[in-house]
Amino acid sequence: MPYEVKEEKGKDGRKVFLIQKENFLELMTDLRKQGYDHLSLITAVDFRDRIELVYHLQKSESNFELLTVRTVTYDSTIDSVSSIWESANWDEREQYDMMGVVFKGHPNLKRILLPEGWVGYPLRKDYDLSKNQYVNMDDEGNDRVSFDPGDGW
Amino acid sequence: MGPQHPSTHGVLRLKLLLDGETVKNVEPVIGYLHRNAEKICELDYYCDSLIYFDRMDYVAAMNMEIGYLEAAEKLLAIEPPERVKWIRVVMAELNRLASHLVWAGAFGLDLGMLTPFFYFFEEREKILNLFTEICGSRQETNYMSIGGVYQDFNDKIIFKIKQFLKQFPKKMEEAYSLFIKNDIFISRTKGIGILEPEVALSYGVTGPMLRASGVPYDVRKDAPYLVYDKLNFDVPISRGKDVLARCIVRFEEMRQSVKILNQALDKIPDGPYFNPKAKKSLMIRLRGEGDVYARTESPKGEFGVHLVGDGTVKPYRLHVRSPAFKNLSILPYLSRDVLIADMVAISGSIDLVFGEVDR
Amino acid sequence: MKTGDAGFITTTLENVLEWGRSNSIWPFTFGLACCAIEMMATQASRLDISRFGSEVFRNSPRQSDLMIVSGTVTKKMAPRLKRLYDEMPYPKYVIAMGVCVIQGGPYNQGYSVVMGVDRVVPVDVYVPGCPPTPEALTHGIMLLQDKIRKREGK
Repeated sequence: MPYEVKEEKGKDGRKVFLIQKENFLELMTDLRKQGYDHLSLITAVDFRDRIELVYHLQKSESNFELLTVRTVTYDSTIDSVSSIWESANWDEREQYDMMGVVFKGHPNLKRILLPEGWVGYPLRKDYDLSKNQYVNMDDEGNDRVSFDPGDGW
Repeated sequence: MGPQHPSTHGVLRLKLLLDGETVKNVEPVIGYLHRNAEKICELDYYCDSLIYFDRMDYVAAMNMEIGYLEAAEKLLAIEPPERVKWIRVVMAELNRLASHLVWAGAFGLDLGMLTPFFYFFEEREKILNLFTEICGSRQETNYMSIGGVYQDFNDKIIFKIKQFLKQFPKKMEEAYSLFIKNDIFISRTKGIGILEPEVALSYGVTGPMLRASGVPYDVRKDAPYLVYDKLNFDVPISRGKDVLARCIVRFEEMRQSVKILNQALDKIPDGPYFNPKAKKSLMIRLRGEGDVYARTESPKGEFGVHLVGDGTVKPYRLHVRSPAFKNLSILPYLSRDVLIADMVAISGSIDLVFGEVDR
Repeated sequence: MKTGDAGFITTTLENVLEWGRSNSIWPFTFGLACCAIEMMATQASRLDISRFGSEVFRNSPRQSDLMIVSGTVTKKMAPRLKRLYDEMPYPKYVIAMGVCVIQGGPYNQGYSVVMGVDRVVPVDVYVPGCPPTPEALTHGIMLLQDKIRKREGK
């Protein structure tokens, strides 16, 4: 293999692969070829200086055995895997919405749960919960977000 | 269409591109029930997060609790006693029945059948009465705690559950025949929304939807948790791949749940009903470090919880893999070039619960 | 209302109208979250809500006169709720079902939940609980009927 993969055991006995961000897409492509056809979950964990991305893959041939791939990004960007697994499409949108991770090469990267125009990424540790944002709707049904309590709810 | 529409099971909004009555493209817009549960869980103690799981898949609260506890107990290194594991299996299967009953009633409403709704909800009321007796609450039970359950079972409860199970199959088959012996129902569902297994896997679909496409994936069998490896049950699959197949698979699952319940009720061992390390007074001092991922089988599919602890009394990050979220993402694929009425049948067959999709 | 000696009743036209109105409340199915399932249970076999003349759950705001807001109102949903409320014809009533609707409930530390639906629309009856039992909702509807008969809802 042209890249280096560190393997370790997780706390609950999972198989965990650690991978550099540069080789991440290559590894994922190879894993798909090895039969990991079910991408279960993408999680981003904010450690203030870096964001760790955790991918849970499953192999349908061997009883959906679990494999975890972890990678770390310091500039909140990572290559998108939505061309490899269709399910990554919504997962990556959710992580973009909640964590502000930019997935390069994603076909439709916009907010999925919060309204368009929301300021900040709520699941980040530095998100300020004391500042309320208010949402209103225009005539076409598009959302409008502001910090003004008189405008919206 | 939506977000407030009778046939969208909650607050789903669909942007439709139509050609006459044929759907050309559909874009689901979700997030109308986004209640920031994951953020609040980070602000709470490990034991307090449970109530937000109750309210995720609000028709199957027990299954959600088990999903969280599987992860939390691994992280906090607290093993529940043997009796608790069996009690949890009983509660999970009862709630699986209740959840499928709600689905069946609502699915009937989607297709314009009012009668099954009353049949299924009557049976569900009986299950909820049992829940009231066991844990004091009907729907959002908050019954389980880290390392145990809040109330013990007694012989009276077991007797009542057995009594319920005696009459349930007959009632269920009676209501089921309203579906399956109805020509209109068959013609509305057969051959609609065909989902090939490869596509389903790629979209991350799990649960009865995946099994209706012929892939026998059930976490209870493939990666057993609690005591499911000691129980004898089958994983129903269907090769129909359509809406009808999903309906048949869910009903077969209900029969299997009854089978599991009958076995489990006889086997509940004696013993304590909580782990003394997780007494109520000690519970808020539990600390965890590292990260775990636990998957369980909820009525909708594979329910996964990824939990990260940093050595304090609160979770550092908690992320939920909600099966309905993934199952919904396949709706645009399934609804290409079908009639609007068929799209309603397809979205009904997904079994959407928005507390879980939006969290 | 007075019973006359000759076996007939004299009353005002308004009283008759209020009596009729209170016994034929047509709720608008505004199910948002957990409480919606309990609302469905209220409608279903065991606790048949049609005993109170409310069996017709309309799906269109234009045909209904009671909005049962059942389930958490998020900020994204609030403008839509307001618009649907505006579409309902007068006289209209609102029942807030569940603590999420009353003041945010367990979610009130968060960022995306409206702290009470009474910030968006005026509420007539509050039904607390998480979720309220169907019996509680039935009681709420009876309270509303009382309120209509006493003409406090105007």
